[in-house]
Amino acid sequence: MRKFLKRKFNRYLAVFTISFKQEFAYRLNFIMWRVRNVLQIFVTFFLWNAIFYTQDRVVFGYDRSKILTYVFGLIFIRAIVLSSRSIDVAGDISRGDLNNYLVKPINYFLYWLTRDISSKFLNVIFAVGEAFLLFIILRPPFFLQTNIIQLVTFLCALIFAILIYFILLFMVNSIPFWAPELGWGGHFLVSVVIVEFLSGAMFPIDVLPLVFQKILYLTPFPYLIFFPIEIYLGKIQGLMLVKGLTISLFWIIALWFLMKKIWDKGLKAYQAYGR
Amino acid sequence: MEKQPSQKAIIVEHLSKNFEVSEKGKGFFGGVSSLIKPNKKTIWALRDISFSIEEGELVGFIGPNGAGKTTTLKILSGLLYPSSGFTQVLGFDPWSRKREYLKQISLVMGQKNQLWWDLPAIDSFELNRAIYEIPKKVFEDNLKDLVEILEVEDILNTQVRRLSLGQRMRLELVAALLHKPKILFLDEPTIGLDVVAQQKVRDFIFEYNKKYKAAVMLTSHNMDDLIDLTKRIIVIDKGEILYDGSLKELVDIFAKEKTIKAYLSKDVDVKKLEEIGEVRRFNYPQVHISVPREATALAASELLQNFPIADLTIEEEPIESIIRRVFRGERKT
Repeated sequence: MRKFLKRKFNRYLAVFTISFKQEFAYRLNFIMWRVRNVLQIFVTFFLWNAIFYTQDRVVFGYDRSKILTYVFGLIFIRAIVLSSRSIDVAGDISRGDLNNYLVKPINYFLYWLTRDISSKFLNVIFAVGEAFLLFIILRPPFFLQTNIIQLVTFLCALIFAILIYFILLFMVNSIPFWAPELGWGGHFLVSVVIVEFLSGAMFPIDVLPLVFQKILYLTPFPYLIFFPIEIYLGKIQGLMLVKGLTISLFWIIALWFLMKKIWDKGLKAYQAYGR
Repeated sequence: MEKQPSQKAIIVEHLSKNFEVSEKGKGFFGGVSSLIKPNKKTIWALRDISFSIEEGELVGFIGPNGAGKTTTLKILSGLLYPSSGFTQVLGFDPWSRKREYLKQISLVMGQKNQLWWDLPAIDSFELNRAIYEIPKKVFEDNLKDLVEILEVEDILNTQVRRLSLGQRMRLELVAALLHKPKILFLDEPTIGLDVVAQQKVRDFIFEYNKKYKAAVMLTSHNMDDLIDLTKRIIVIDKGEILYDGSLKELVDIFAKEKTIKAYLSKDVDVKKLEEIGEVRRFNYPQVHISVPREATALAASELLQNFPIADLTIEEEPIESIIRRVFRGERKT
């Protein structure tokens, strides 16, 4: 059993390594993408900084230091959760490149999860650098969480968020099994429209009307970004925290089974395009 | 189903595969109307085909575009779900894609690459080593062997995108064979290659088949591939098997005629020549006459006696033209 796991680990370690090398093949692309990230943070920072201009103003339960921590938290969480490479899955299916993986003794889902983690790893390294730089330039008041329970549950929520987003994208990216031309559209809908607005990547969700918030909390989206940051900020504690983690765990399992079903069906419909 | 006692590597029985395709109308309005009411059409890619292949056999699979060759290979390698029928390869059902099965096969498609485009090929090889769990020592030996035979030593560390098609194809073969598959599915392995590269790939396939007793199933448009490599061929068209047997027998059955090519030293009347056999081409001084196989000797001697012949050769019908006739549905009489 141990030997089996070790071999399995080696297999995906090799995927991790080659994936990492591949990221460096497009250096300029990567740098441009990071620049975009930084600019986005600048804009959000100045927006909220203007709103909280008066030192002791509190809006929706956020004071200046907490909202700015929220904004900086976004840098990390975005880099970790929303940096998914799995858009290529749709392309693999519609171009028929999926063939290459199906004929090999490798799990396609784990393959992409590994590539994803490899890409996240690189992103985190850069995000740390960027955050450090921005911190020096902007000198924002920063909220440091010291409660160990909050920190541990924060990490837990972060891992859940990664899995939810990954499975969600994997599902959406299987549309080309049935409609080869629709791959990009589906990805756009999920990653840009739904996720950006409903996950808290644009604004904290608790600025929304209460009814809307309650409904949103039953969907998987706030658990992608908003929920982990709020745990870090200590705004979600105790029962709320347990409830939130349970719901996100439920979504991981539910989405996982749904995705498996979709793939079982999809592979049967698969036409292995391209000679 | 029990595993057959004989050494059958591949068993296919009554296999059928159909695809549903929605057709798009012409132009903008056609496109729109197909969105609202898709025009579904069923394409029969394979209709009830059966065959089996022994271990270590090298079989050529030929047929025109869209005949169902690639579809068959895809089903056998577990990519496509068969509509009906039975398939078994090395005792496995290909569709279930068991690890143990996938470790023993390889599929090479002339127009699809598995090598990582932005990285040198050696990186892709290393990845395959991990995926197929090849022990380091075995991997190094295999790689050394393959690199030597295919002469790719000096391009191992070049970014794949910078290589020529022929170089890439040879590296693709290395990648596909590092794990020493027992069964090799090759789909148009020589497509787009120049004559020299084609020959290299062919020699290599022949070697591999002999050395490792691997069953090889090869599709090709290139007749030279088949003549060079295979004893047995399966001719397929419109999803049906038209012929399955030795290449030599096919020639014997279908090539009922030989061609006498003669150079005349003086112009003669075509009508007179037609008494000897069917004149296929007359372009003074050259003449091609088609005669029944068994009457060849007689016809040749008559020609030599009665006509001013400068030179004369007797030739078999080229295999291309025989196969063309098989496709046209000509039957052996």
